[in-house]
Amino acid sequence: MLRVLLAFVIAIAGAALVGSVMQTQFNLAEITALSVSVDMPTRMNTIVHDLLHFGPVFAAMLIPTLLIAFIIAWLVAKRCKRFERWWFIVGGGLGLATAFIIIDSLAPMPTLIAANRTTLGFVLMSATGAFAGWIFDRLWHPQARELNEELPK
Amino acid sequence: MIRLCVKLTVIALALFASAVQSSAVVTKTTVIADKLAFPWSMAALPEGGFVVTLRGGQLIYVAPNGAKQPIELSLPDLYATAQAGLFEVLLAPDFSSTRELVLSYACGNEAANNTCVVKGTLSAQAPYSVFNAQNIFTALPKKAGAAHFGARMTWLADGTLLVALGDGFVHREQAQLLDNHLGKIVRIHRDGSTPNDNPYKHSQASQIFSYGHRNVQGLIYDEQRDAIWQHEHGPKGGDELNKIVAGGNYGWPIATYGIDYIGAKVSPFNQLPGVKAPLYTWTPSLAPAGLALYKGDLLVSHLVGRRLQRFHYSNDSWTLTDEYLSELGQRIRAVYTSPDNQVYVLTDSAEGQLIRVELP
Repeated sequence: MLRVLLAFVIAIAGAALVGSVMQTQFNLAEITALSVSVDMPTRMNTIVHDLLHFGPVFAAMLIPTLLIAFIIAWLVAKRCKRFERWWFIVGGGLGLATAFIIIDSLAPMPTLIAANRTTLGFVLMSATGAFAGWIFDRLWHPQARELNEELPK
Repeated sequence: MIRLCVKLTVIALALFASAVQSSAVVTKTTVIADKLAFPWSMAALPEGGFVVTLRGGQLIYVAPNGAKQPIELSLPDLYATAQAGLFEVLLAPDFSSTRELVLSYACGNEAANNTCVVKGTLSAQAPYSVFNAQNIFTALPKKAGAAHFGARMTWLADGTLLVALGDGFVHREQAQLLDNHLGKIVRIHRDGSTPNDNPYKHSQASQIFSYGHRNVQGLIYDEQRDAIWQHEHGPKGGDELNKIVAGGNYGWPIATYGIDYIGAKVSPFNQLPGVKAPLYTWTPSLAPAGLALYKGDLLVSHLVGRRLQRFHYSNDSWTLTDEYLSELGQRIRAVYTSPDNQVYVLTDSAEGQLIRVELP
């Protein structure tokens, strides 16, 4: 049980981190496209700000979403064990994409996360759910060859 | 002696601090009319009574005794949902002789809409109707969604009309581009034609007066100072009070004091060269909605802030001096000063009220 919990927490943290850094790049890309230059210190400060302020909110969004998605993936994996890793990856990605759609239809603003305004942004932000699925299953049920991986010297 | 000096200094500092801080003042209020479904704007008629817009699309006449009567108005392309609907009513400067008024509203449908302005003529007596309604402005491009229409308007001294617009929420970057009306204030003649002394000459931008706005919810021309005051909603924080000048860039979304609702930065910059800095910012957001002049002071009503604020002008800036109506606990959509110098507010709810406020 502890292993599942730990795997879930690390998966949420990993997805929140990657998602936060990614949406910052989308927002800054929109600013630079308007001929405003963003130097590296400013970019780093923005990344840190968003990690501290967007990251926890995104993590809170990920927790119920991936909890449901992973339970469904686990139920599917019980019937089809061979592709377990893929069920979690697909479940995480589709689960988060569905959550974005539901949240945007319920929230007063048309798009809660600005990066989701474009198709590319929506796909990549949803992919952080797939990334969480990979982390989760990698930690929960590592494959034999993954257990035998040598540590880098 | 030293202790006495210290005490006197502390007292003096305390008095000074209380003098420069705003104070909450309880005022006398009179409910003129109630059960108004989401009233948005109002105007006092010279013969008495008021014209009030309801966001759902109705234009209402409110008699001085509070009796309500619908005003016949045909807006076939009205789009009324969420933030979209009927917005501002503004009487023409020569209304007494022409009976002309302008109305802003959301036009189109869910897939393609924006802010439109019609000019019409109000019949001479009750029961009132608006006839000869003709479109004088349509904000372009039409876009999907029902958020951020702006729609506040004001007449300038030369008789031209300023129409403030929103960025449509999901199109925020368009506020910086001069080939569309999203996030702009436009200046037009009363017949819808374009003045030839607008700041930008190329055809796509010929109506644009200023740009870089998010969602303008207050706009007024100050005849005494020959200035245009405006406020607009920031996202999470960063609501702004601005002085609008022709050709000005007000920064959205490249420079803002607000952050996105979900915590991310919209822009790393609060200010940038070439961007007009706000005169005052509200963080956290109070969602200002409505702007009026009263005895040379600015009155700003607030939706989320549920109060009326008063700003005094000195040394080229506005200072918050007083706060009113907190005791109502109501979202306030609009504040209006009638030609006879009475102050009115409209509360924002399904059972909204038109309230007269007695201010010092």
